Amino acid sequence: MKLRDLFTPDTVKLEIDSDSKDEILKELIELLELDDKSEAILFKTLKRRENLGSTGIGKGIAIPHCRSLVVEETRLAYGRKSNGAEFQAIDGEPVHHFFLIVAPPLEVSNQYLPILGKIAQFAKDPDIPEKLLQIDSPDAFLTLLEERGA
Amino acid sequence: MKPSSPTPPMHPQLMILLELQDLRAKYRELERDEASAAVEREVFNVDPDEALTGLGEAIEKLENSLSAPVRARYDRISPNRDRVVVPVLRGVCYGCFVSIPTATAGDQEVNQVLQGCESCGSFIYVVT
Ligand SMILES: [Zn+2]
Repeated sequence: MKLRDLFTPDTVKLEIDSDSKDEILKELIELLELDDKSEAILFKTLKRRENLGSTGIGKGIAIPHCRSLVVEETRLAYGRKSNGAEFQAIDGEPVHHFFLIVAPPLEVSNQYLPILGKIAQFAKDPDIPEKLLQIDSPDAFLTLLEERGA
Repeated sequence: MKPSSPTPPMHPQLMILLELQDLRAKYRELERDEASAAVEREVFNVDPDEALTGLGEAIEKLENSLSAPVRARYDRISPNRDRVVVPVLRGVCYGCFVSIPTATAGDQEVNQVLQGCESCGSFIYVVT
């Protein structure tokens, strides 16, 4: 299972418009192109997870994640906020890179945790945050994943 | 890009049940799945015990907002199974894999009514 295969250019947004945590989550959710009700449920579920503790893992990276009935298979999206946003990250620094993961409640293949682990590993690679700031198209994002074998 | 057709309204109690479902799933995962709890602890710095307390409170609050008949059914089915709401995909209940001909994905109004699967008793959410 490659991260590269779980993203499409449509699920990559290089300029997140919003500044607040809630609006950023909504913008990420929109990339999944669900219906309005599903978006609303997913937002609530992601918020609940954020309330347990920010998914900002430091170094400018956040990985909002949850399981939800509104998806049939694991879905990923990436959003970039070049000038950074306050996300109550562990290190208190602004977040530039948002990796959204939504998995169905039950999956036969149980991809959720391995995917979460892979993203954390990829994003924490010392030069990745900088490289992510430099990419200029969704395809370049996919290429970067490919180059890293992620 | 959004789907072009307007989203059909959903029964408000079904919205609550779906939210409850997601919270219960998170609760179970932290409580029973050591690998998940470890990821939350190590990658995200979340204390699983504190998280369980917070989730438990949120679940109780939502349960209390269910209407009496829905709550009665919920109380009946929730102790015995992981999922109180199950998706219906292409006319098949994913709680028991029995086909539910009346709940088809093509029917746009279907989630406006709160329905249960006659075979397994779960509340159903028709994925359109
Ligand atoms: Zn059933």
